[in-house]
Amino acid sequence: MIEPVDPEDLRLVFVAAAAIVVGGAGYAGLFAWARLKNRRRWLAGAYVCYAALAAAVLLLARTAHLNGAWQGVVVLMLVGYLLAPHGIWHLCAASHRLERSSRAPPGD
Amino acid sequence: MRTGIIDSANLNGGQQLAVKYFSVAVVLFLAQMLFGLAAAIQFVRPDFLYNVLDFSVNRMVHINAMVVWMLYGFVGAVYWLLEEESGTRIVGLGLGNLAFWVLTAAVAVVVVVYLLVQTGPGNDLTRWFVNEGREYLEAPRWADLGIVAVLGVFFYNVAATFSKGRWSGIAGVLTLDLVALAGLYCAGMFYLTNITADQYWWWWVIHLWVEATWEVLVGCIMAWGLMHMLGVRRRIVETWLYIEVALMFGSGILGLGHHYFWIGTPDYWFSIGGFFSALEPIPLVAMVVHSVYDAGVHKFKNGNHPALAWIIAHTFGNFLGAGVWGFMHTLPQINLYTHGTQWTASHGHLAFFGAYATINIAFFYIAMQTWRGNIWLGGGLAGGGWKWKWALALLNLGVIGMTVALLIAGYEQSFIERAVEGSTWGGYFAAQQHPWFQQAMAWRLVFGVVTLAGVLLLVWDLLTIGVGEMRRAPQLAAEAG
Repeated sequence: MIEPVDPEDLRLVFVAAAAIVVGGAGYAGLFAWARLKNRRRWLAGAYVCYAALAAAVLLLARTAHLNGAWQGVVVLMLVGYLLAPHGIWHLCAASHRLERSSRAPPGD
Repeated sequence: MRTGIIDSANLNGGQQLAVKYFSVAVVLFLAQMLFGLAAAIQFVRPDFLYNVLDFSVNRMVHINAMVVWMLYGFVGAVYWLLEEESGTRIVGLGLGNLAFWVLTAAVAVVVVVYLLVQTGPGNDLTRWFVNEGREYLEAPRWADLGIVAVLGVFFYNVAATFSKGRWSGIAGVLTLDLVALAGLYCAGMFYLTNITADQYWWWWVIHLWVEATWEVLVGCIMAWGLMHMLGVRRRIVETWLYIEVALMFGSGILGLGHHYFWIGTPDYWFSIGGFFSALEPIPLVAMVVHSVYDAGVHKFKNGNHPALAWIIAHTFGNFLGAGVWGFMHTLPQINLYTHGTQWTASHGHLAFFGAYATINIAFFYIAMQTWRGNIWLGGGLAGGGWKWKWALALLNLGVIGMTVALLIAGYEQSFIERAVEGSTWGGYFAAQQHPWFQQAMAWRLVFGVVTLAGVLLLVWDLLTIGVGEMRRAPQLAAEAG
């Protein structure tokens, strides 16, 4: 069912797993900042972070032997991290549009 | 309203009960630190308090104190917001007060019994009156039943008050979450002779409390706190609360599978645990986008800088502790080596501090502000607010230092004890005697002392912040927009 990590790859696995989440945060943060300030340079930085995340996912897949059905986790991470910031951004923008259009006092 | 001095006349009934919970929470926070420090010393000097206060007891009290002080903080925070959120006076306040004293007396008795009866047989008598024997849920059966009864009273106070007053999105989510909070605890009281089945239910309490119901409870508290502190509109916080609940429950409930890898459950839990654990950082990435959006669109104008600083610390701590440190060792291919090593302790220290201790501390500052007459706790505090700033710095430095030290120890254990030596007793002792492990434990002790210094400064600050302050905090909820 699972093929354990080779001992010589332990460090690589930990670094790759950490890099996925940190890369995801970098991508999400820069993406949101670029959209907020309308700056293409920051958006490029966001996709550089995503590229680093993708490389880390592939490294994790190789070192943690994510083969067979486990490749679903790889696809999930690549697609999920790519799309989640877009979706959340739209939710942010939509909920704050409601705020601007609402005249009700805050807290009500 | 009298400003600058502690005056309970400044508080409503629920808030008066809340400050009792907060006070005991702070005492238990100190106890957690002291027992943790003693356990840390025992890693470096194993003969320290040998046969007086054994490591197993120290560790148990350290962790139990943490669980209980966080619960006291959450319960206090809910009582704090209850009357304002419902728009009516709390229902059953007398019963709530009685439940507080019963719970506090029970906690005191349980701790005394832990300290006095450190060894002995494991039978029906000890399970009912001394120690149930389940890690992190060691409270004896009588206390378990008491905890559920007290949570039942708490649920009654909350549900009846909202029913009498007004329901809101926060009220609805909170009330349903309390059903899960009390109900799930019952899963930890079964007695099963099959260790796999026993552990199966035990994880329902541990995981589904910490990674589901507690997260949602904190989401409710945070939503109310953001409206109260920053004047964020209800419609926005409630929208995001629903999104957070969906994300947390969507990934968190079956993320339970990552605890089922090695307890004898069927193999399909590898796939379920791995898949949903990979989803668990997604809510945190969502949090990053939303934080950047709000920081850019709104200004963080508020009259309580310590509380806001602790909420910001919560954001970073939750992301690093739960997200990065969690995912680093959550897939079964990796977890095979790390499970139960100091790696887990490293993740636990940063995640509990980042996700839960920070938000409770933020609420302590909110409480002190109102208790002293809704005073200004923003810029220009006496002494430049050095005490809260240093407490924040020392606590974060101490916990991050302990986390890194434990990470090094955990890596060394995973490599030598598990990967090289194949989880043998020889491997266990080789890993324990390795210089990396021993040096890491010495550093953990050093940073534990730093953390204790931070807690002592925090307590001092909570007792003195705003003394004599006559400026009033702005009514942000009325001014925003």
